[in-house]
Amino acid sequence: MPISDSTREQMREIAARYPSARSALLPMLHLAQSEEDEITTDGINACAEVLDITPAEVTAVATFYTMYKRERVGKHHIGVCTNTLCGLLGGDAVWDSLVEATGAGHNTASPDGEFFLERIECQAACTHAPVMTVDWEFMDDVTPGSAVEVIESLRRGESVQATRGPAIRDFQATERTLAFPDDGLADAPSVDDKMLAGLQIAKERGMTGGNA
Amino acid sequence: MTITNEPGADVAVPSELITVIVDGVAIGVPKGTLAIRAAEMLGIEIPRFCDHPLLDPVAACRACLVEIEGVPKPQPACAQVVSDGMQIKTQFSSDVAREAQEGVMEFLLLNHPLDCPVCDKGGECPLQNQAMSVGRPESRFTLDKREFEKPINVSAQILLDRERCVSCARCTRFADQIAGDPMLELLERGAQQQVGTADDEPFDSYFSGNTIQICPVGALTSATYRFRARPFDLVSVPTACEHCASGCSLRTDYRRSTITRRLAWDDPEVNEEWNCDKGRFAFPYMQQGRLEWPLIREDGELRTASWPEAIDVAARGLQAAGKDTAVLVGGRSTVEDAYAYQRFARAVLGTDNIDFRARANSAEEHSFLASRVAGTPVQVEYSDLESAPTVLLVSFEPEDESPIVFLRLRKASRTGTRVYSVGSGTTRGLEKMAGTCIPALPGREADVLASLPADVRDALAEPGAVIMVGERAAASSGTLTAVVELAESTGAALAWVPRRAGERGALDAGALAGVLPGGRPLTDAIARNSIAQAWGLAESDLPRPGLSGVELHDAITEGRISAALVGGVEPADYPLDAVEALGDLDFVVSLENHHSAVTELADVVLPVAVVSEKSGTFVDWEGRPRPFGQVFRDAMMGSDAYVLGMLASALDRAQPSTVTDIRAELGRLGPWTGSRIPFEPARVDSAQADTTGEVRLDSWRLLLDLGVMQEGDPHLAATARPTVARMSPGTAQRFAIGTHVRIEGPGGFVQLPVELDESMIDGVVWTPMNSEGCRVYRDLGVGYGHAVSIAPATEGGSA
Ligand code: SF4
Ligand code: SF4
Ligand code: FES
Ligand code: FES
Repeated sequence: MPISDSTREQMREIAARYPSARSALLPMLHLAQSEEDEITTDGINACAEVLDITPAEVTAVATFYTMYKRERVGKHHIGVCTNTLCGLLGGDAVWDSLVEATGAGHNTASPDGEFFLERIECQAACTHAPVMTVDWEFMDDVTPGSAVEVIESLRRGESVQATRGPAIRDFQATERTLAFPDDGLADAPSVDDKMLAGLQIAKERGMTGGNA
Repeated sequence: MTITNEPGADVAVPSELITVIVDGVAIGVPKGTLAIRAAEMLGIEIPRFCDHPLLDPVAACRACLVEIEGVPKPQPACAQVVSDGMQIKTQFSSDVAREAQEGVMEFLLLNHPLDCPVCDKGGECPLQNQAMSVGRPESRFTLDKREFEKPINVSAQILLDRERCVSCARCTRFADQIAGDPMLELLERGAQQQVGTADDEPFDSYFSGNTIQICPVGALTSATYRFRARPFDLVSVPTACEHCASGCSLRTDYRRSTITRRLAWDDPEVNEEWNCDKGRFAFPYMQQGRLEWPLIREDGELRTASWPEAIDVAARGLQAAGKDTAVLVGGRSTVEDAYAYQRFARAVLGTDNIDFRARANSAEEHSFLASRVAGTPVQVEYSDLESAPTVLLVSFEPEDESPIVFLRLRKASRTGTRVYSVGSGTTRGLEKMAGTCIPALPGREADVLASLPADVRDALAEPGAVIMVGERAAASSGTLTAVVELAESTGAALAWVPRRAGERGALDAGALAGVLPGGRPLTDAIARNSIAQAWGLAESDLPRPGLSGVELHDAITEGRISAALVGGVEPADYPLDAVEALGDLDFVVSLENHHSAVTELADVVLPVAVVSEKSGTFVDWEGRPRPFGQVFRDAMMGSDAYVLGMLASALDRAQPSTVTDIRAELGRLGPWTGSRIPFEPARVDSAQADTTGEVRLDSWRLLLDLGVMQEGDPHLAATARPTVARMSPGTAQRFAIGTHVRIEGPGGFVQLPVELDESMIDGVVWTPMNSEGCRVYRDLGVGYGHAVSIAPATEGGSA
């Protein structure tokens, strides 16, 4: 599916937002992904054309960031943090349960194309470990059971609410928000009191860092 | 130490010196010096992979870690700018530095296959060498190494074995910073980091071969050389490139009498450390399809003959024609060979009918060359381009026609030199020089030059400004006159840039009617006397001014000339039906390396040496001599000068025939300081000025095309740019042209895919001049600046 003319037009719109057009490449790639569900050669060429850089330069960027996928994601992207803290607190078990429930694997979509799994790195949400993400929205403090429940609800087409963020839509819709973050959906507060508890205590007790 | 010039500065002035101490030894260095360079000045070698003096520092490989007093961690010497009093300790005086370097080396070798015995680089490999000099003796790594499918093509010519790469980013920086072709990138940064290209876009660069040479490991190889030789089995000879007037220093490597590769050699004043892919890869022609024996025409057929017989027949035939001979010297001649041709013409045959311009030319150009170029000392050099505030290009596409001029202009443009080009559109090369097109219809450059925008004129009046005019200007009457007027009125320096390597030298050697060696006018009494004396003749023995260019051609077609002596002319460069006209002459002698359209109709064919079999001198566009030595000392083939010497002897006239003797004779003549032939301005001729109706053809030879000296390397040929016709969207619309166009001239038509180019002016169609599917002189019967008609391509009619 080639990049449509209207998407190209929107790419130009994004490029115009930056003093140096090249800086627009990241949101433009998200836009390409929102249209095609992955980064295709066509998406790369469209970005290159709009920014007047070479496809190789775009490829270098698109292959560096893991959020850009070179294979189709399908309906939902499910990330499970398996870094130290989440891993120890059950992330690995959550991962296993999701692999079993979906039939997908790391960076691979399930056979029905509904779910694409990815072991992700620390999301700076260790307070709520283990965390998983659905289309990059947070599901905090999950268990193997609650994680599978999320999957089941999505399968049934029920509305699923992110812990800190909007109701889940699908991967391509999120990618669009990443390209145009002014749709209000990215405005929900991403930190809660629990995450700031330590800071609060430190402030109360006048604690500072070692060298400060 | 290279000190870069500020734009406009005349000379490099060393900035303030500061003192640094490397391994306890103090040295004064200019501000801004990198630690690795400061160490080099003391002869202290710090290991390095990514560092390259002509590329911006990146500190990507970390091989060069050194200890700097007062800094807690080891620092990369290649990116560390020194400060006054800085104490730098290298591996020779610091355990910290030594251990850091060992660690990095061990790390770089973790994934390295160590397949040195089958690697092209083995024997000349910085990784091999530095692993020995600063690495640990043993690896502690016992796990599996990273593996890749090998090799992958980054272009038709360049192959990449990714597992050998140490991610130094030299190749990618070269592509981006030097060539301006950022199509090679570091992809998949992280554990799978690798060099690569976009999916459907190869590394398409005329300079791609340089990446092989600067790759510090064997990751990049050429399809041509891969697995052909080991460096320690090669004999290396410094040479000069015969392919264009950029004047690159090259190194030719051979093994068992076969050239295996050519490399760019380091010449900071000319090609720096770079060259183009034509100079690097186009050498197989020297060892394929060569003429081996003299040929004589007998009963209409060419037959093999012995040298004495062929020389005898050729000498008698030429003697019979005498003054009515035309001597045509192609662009591949060395100074020495061209000198021999003109001496043979004037002293032996008694004719001045000689021309080295085996391509479109004009009387105006003759006057321009005779008055302003022949035998003049260097007026503009490469370094002047770098420091010029403004450079104006006229009828000249440097990336195709003189690639090192392009690289130097691109380098200059990155530090502020403004480049303007009078042409039909903004080419890819001009874009890479951040240049501005001053639109002109091919053939109407003179008008445009006479009415340049005021800011451009003013810019040309600034000190250091340069005008570069290409040889194509000859095909557009009035252009050279306008260029001369512009240079005189603005004070800008003027450089003439021919395409072929031999042209400037042939001009200086006197291979042009009316112009004796060194630019001496044939009509000047002092010049005549000194030449006659040098040649052991009486002044009256020297001929009166003869014919050249169009006049000479007319004389050939009208039967006023009866014989021709032709050396190395490429028929594809001839605008006129000159080659066919030669067929009607009584007697044609051809000195050639390979069969050609001229040998087909010659009465005697005398094989001559290629550059690897002789020594000689080319003169680059600057006027700088590029002498080169003989690669194969036991070559069986003599140079043109040697063969001309034999012909002269057969007619009882001796003339010097070795490089040494010719150089000695040229040395005795010395430079010419007498009066010069005055320039005769010319005007745009009326046929050319009439631009009503049809479209104009813009055309030049692409760097890589069907040139005879590029034969024999299919990988190189596969990197040539595709043959397309370019035109503005307006032109396409006006003639209702879709994806393909039919271009018709008086001699026929071609059908080509269309590339719309927004930057082009209306009323022009551009095609390559001598590429697959489009050889303009042969296919259209006209060349640059002429009217052609265009129409949508017809079904199934591809030419
Ligand atoms: S291919 Fe060679 S030059 Fe390019 S990054 Fe790898 S090691 Fe460096
Ligand atoms: S730029 Fe010209 S002289 Fe240099 S290598 Fe290429 S063809 Fe030869
Ligand atoms: S380790 Fe999982 S969010 Fe930090
Ligand atoms: S040479 Fe200094 S980091 Fe590579």
